[in-house]
Amino acid sequence: MASNELSSSVKIAAPPRELEREPLVLNNRPLGWISNQIVGIIEGKTPRWWWITFVISALVMLLCPIYIGYLITTGVGVWGLNSPIAWGWAIVNFVFWIGIGHAGTLISAVLFLLRQKWGTSINRAAEAMTIFAVMCAGIFPGIHVGRIWFAWWLFPLPNSNGPIWPQFRSPLLWDVFAVSTYFTVSLLFWYMGLIPDLATIRDRCKNFLGKFFYGLFSLGWTGSNRHWSNYEKAYLLLAGLSTPLVLSVHSIVSFDFAVSQVPGWHTTIFPPYFVAGAIFSGFGMVLTLMIPLRSIFKLHDLLTVRHIELMCKVTLATGTIVGYAYGMEFFIAWYGGNPYEAYCFQNRAFGPYWWAYWIMISCNVITPQFFWFKKLRTNVVLVWILSIFVNIGMWFERFVIVVTSLHRDYIPANWSYYSPTKVDVLTFVGTFGLFMVLFLLFIRFLPLIAISEVKGVTDYADPHHPRGGAKGGHH
Amino acid sequence: MSSESPQSSKPSLDLAKYANLPNQLIVGGAIGLLIGFFAWREQFLYSYLTAFMFFLSLVLGGLFLVLLHHLFDSQWLVPIRRICEHFAGLAPILGVLGLPVILIFAKSIYPWMAIEDPHSDHALHVKYALFNPTAFWVVSIALFVVWTWLANRLRKHSLAQDETGAATHTQAMRKYAAGGIVLFAFTLTLGVIYWMKSLEHQWFSTMYGVYYFAGSVWTTLATMYVLTALLQRTGHLAPVVRDSTFKDIGTLFFAFTVFYAYIHFSQYFLIWNAAIPEETFWYVKRENGIWWYLGMLIIFGHFFVPFLTMLRIDVKKKLTIMAPLAGWAWLMHYVDMTFNIKPVIDPEGHGISLSGMIQSIASMAFIGGFLAKFFLKSFITHAPFPQRDPRIAETMGVYVELESEAQAQTKSAKA
Repeated sequence: MASNELSSSVKIAAPPRELEREPLVLNNRPLGWISNQIVGIIEGKTPRWWWITFVISALVMLLCPIYIGYLITTGVGVWGLNSPIAWGWAIVNFVFWIGIGHAGTLISAVLFLLRQKWGTSINRAAEAMTIFAVMCAGIFPGIHVGRIWFAWWLFPLPNSNGPIWPQFRSPLLWDVFAVSTYFTVSLLFWYMGLIPDLATIRDRCKNFLGKFFYGLFSLGWTGSNRHWSNYEKAYLLLAGLSTPLVLSVHSIVSFDFAVSQVPGWHTTIFPPYFVAGAIFSGFGMVLTLMIPLRSIFKLHDLLTVRHIELMCKVTLATGTIVGYAYGMEFFIAWYGGNPYEAYCFQNRAFGPYWWAYWIMISCNVITPQFFWFKKLRTNVVLVWILSIFVNIGMWFERFVIVVTSLHRDYIPANWSYYSPTKVDVLTFVGTFGLFMVLFLLFIRFLPLIAISEVKGVTDYADPHHPRGGAKGGHH
Repeated sequence: MSSESPQSSKPSLDLAKYANLPNQLIVGGAIGLLIGFFAWREQFLYSYLTAFMFFLSLVLGGLFLVLLHHLFDSQWLVPIRRICEHFAGLAPILGVLGLPVILIFAKSIYPWMAIEDPHSDHALHVKYALFNPTAFWVVSIALFVVWTWLANRLRKHSLAQDETGAATHTQAMRKYAAGGIVLFAFTLTLGVIYWMKSLEHQWFSTMYGVYYFAGSVWTTLATMYVLTALLQRTGHLAPVVRDSTFKDIGTLFFAFTVFYAYIHFSQYFLIWNAAIPEETFWYVKRENGIWWYLGMLIIFGHFFVPFLTMLRIDVKKKLTIMAPLAGWAWLMHYVDMTFNIKPVIDPEGHGISLSGMIQSIASMAFIGGFLAKFFLKSFITHAPFPQRDPRIAETMGVYVELESEAQAQTKSAKA
């Protein structure tokens, strides 16, 4: 018991210098500086780069109405679909965008519930990204129904046509509910988090229109104790509500494939594997967007290298989980002894779409492994480049899943090869334009970083810290 | 720059009178098993395997929590990290207790081992490279060697840090954890495939490794909760355990309640929905007789009961609720292991036999007694919690001036 005597008291010491945590706001920036820095982006003159990017994005976005209009007036034959590949880029793009839309609510809700304070610097932009990505995703199922004027059949609306109801047993219908619920709650969560910051902008606004609109949307926020108390409760409840939604959306998207009997699709690990992949791609996109903005708006003290490192670690963890799932699928295809399943996976890796498979493996499994090394995680330019590979890899993952399982089905006489048409490609490019237009409007008119939340993680908000008002060494 | 915590308190619980309990469990269990060995060989073997898989969950769950702590650079796990390290350190003991029985009687336990011509059975033929007696022996032993090595490396550095407080130990543990988590995922999956899934070698599910992992960590967290409360009351953990420690363990316990349900539901649902006979037979068998009731018990007892109980934040800090819930979690995990293993010998689900009950209790007592004995031995010979963990100030929720802050102040004073 000799050594247990050590425990009668605990020696509380500061960590060794090399293990100290970097603060989440660097250089002891005061609270006023944080407001100025973030609101300054909105209050300042619209930069030239913003206009250039906005115009280009808007022009790219025009591809969407042009090619969707062409699709509607001509029919889905303008896509590269054929028999047996009845699902092509549209579904790939849908899953890709939904995946991107995972990081925002995950950062806000899950990191909040896990008391991970570092989420505060990135949650606002990530949530905005989520909402815009889900909007882009929503386009594809809508236009995939072929006769778009019947898209309302997706919803179980009372009708006199028989009546005709959607197939409630189909995960495609569950998608409608899951995605629309996720979108609604994410929007609500995002907007609610914005309220204190909108009030900050309102109070600083000098022009009438700004004062009116920011005032209108800040819902009479005064920052009173009662307001904050209600706000915190609502935030916690919405975080609790959003967390299962984050998991459910991509699980249900995975059911689109996994409930079938198609080799390569029917595998029990699909739900958590899809969720991990979605978080992986979401964080990839957050890094891609936030790293340039950090430089442009000089947010280095608010969006620190520590934030980037932590995002890299999440990317590494989820990328490795995805790698485990890829390995497990291959292993069980061999283990199960089903020749169709085994062939499907051999075909993925060595068949006509081998290039897509190996791009997926390289980007999603190999790329994040670089993040094991601190030296690479702290090289911001390199991280940005690797994050683009993550985005590319996750698009290819969906392509591999959708196309390789379909193009060689049970009957060899049906085997075919799928190539996208110009309409497929340009519609997808158009959604990037839409996404960028919305994101640019967001950074121009709304606070890019959650002002009140970032202030809450500074030393000034810590009652135990001398800068937070505590007297003496420790309390 | 350092100080003594004011939280040291007088122990309110003395467990000395239970010191002999592990020995009693071992002896009682051994007698029961001896009877079973001669009288009910089949029940003996399968109950022993069930207990082995149950306790493997605790060992691997402990190892996972240690890895988690280092990978996330977390602070809330500091008070219980040493217990987790000791749990992980039980790997060689469990290996010695379990492997001889599993390996020597493998032919009686695993139907695939008894197939004379493995190439006459398609499901066995395709995976003969993995499913042959030599591979089974070699891999089984190798898995325990890996877990023992990893657990020992982590504990060695942890104990060394008690003496020196050097940052190099934390850095080394992080490196072991980084490689260790990959090894952990790979070895856990292989272990559960070999020892549990291979009981019905025709069946397959890509989720199975994750499923066992989810249940394992869930049970470990329940165990940690009760152990933390006990050791706080004995005074061993009193200086470091705070209300938030219980809340944090409870929160993760709650999260894993949901995670396990999510994983098991997904596995069941996808198999049920696709309705492919080569997969459904596994669950169809488990709808017979008593297995149907156990399945219902898993749905309600493994998920709904703990989920609804822990939904409120304040419940996670109430030992009067959490301790019975942890006991319930042990029962549920045992039911889960039974649900996986025992239908092999009772496909019709005839019911719980007296021999089965005796063997189940005896196996749990025997292996549990041994593990408890070695755990206590490790626990009392080392400090009960990491003495100089770099995150101790954060754990205690106090501010301690950082070296960098002191340097900055000195600099500004000079200027």
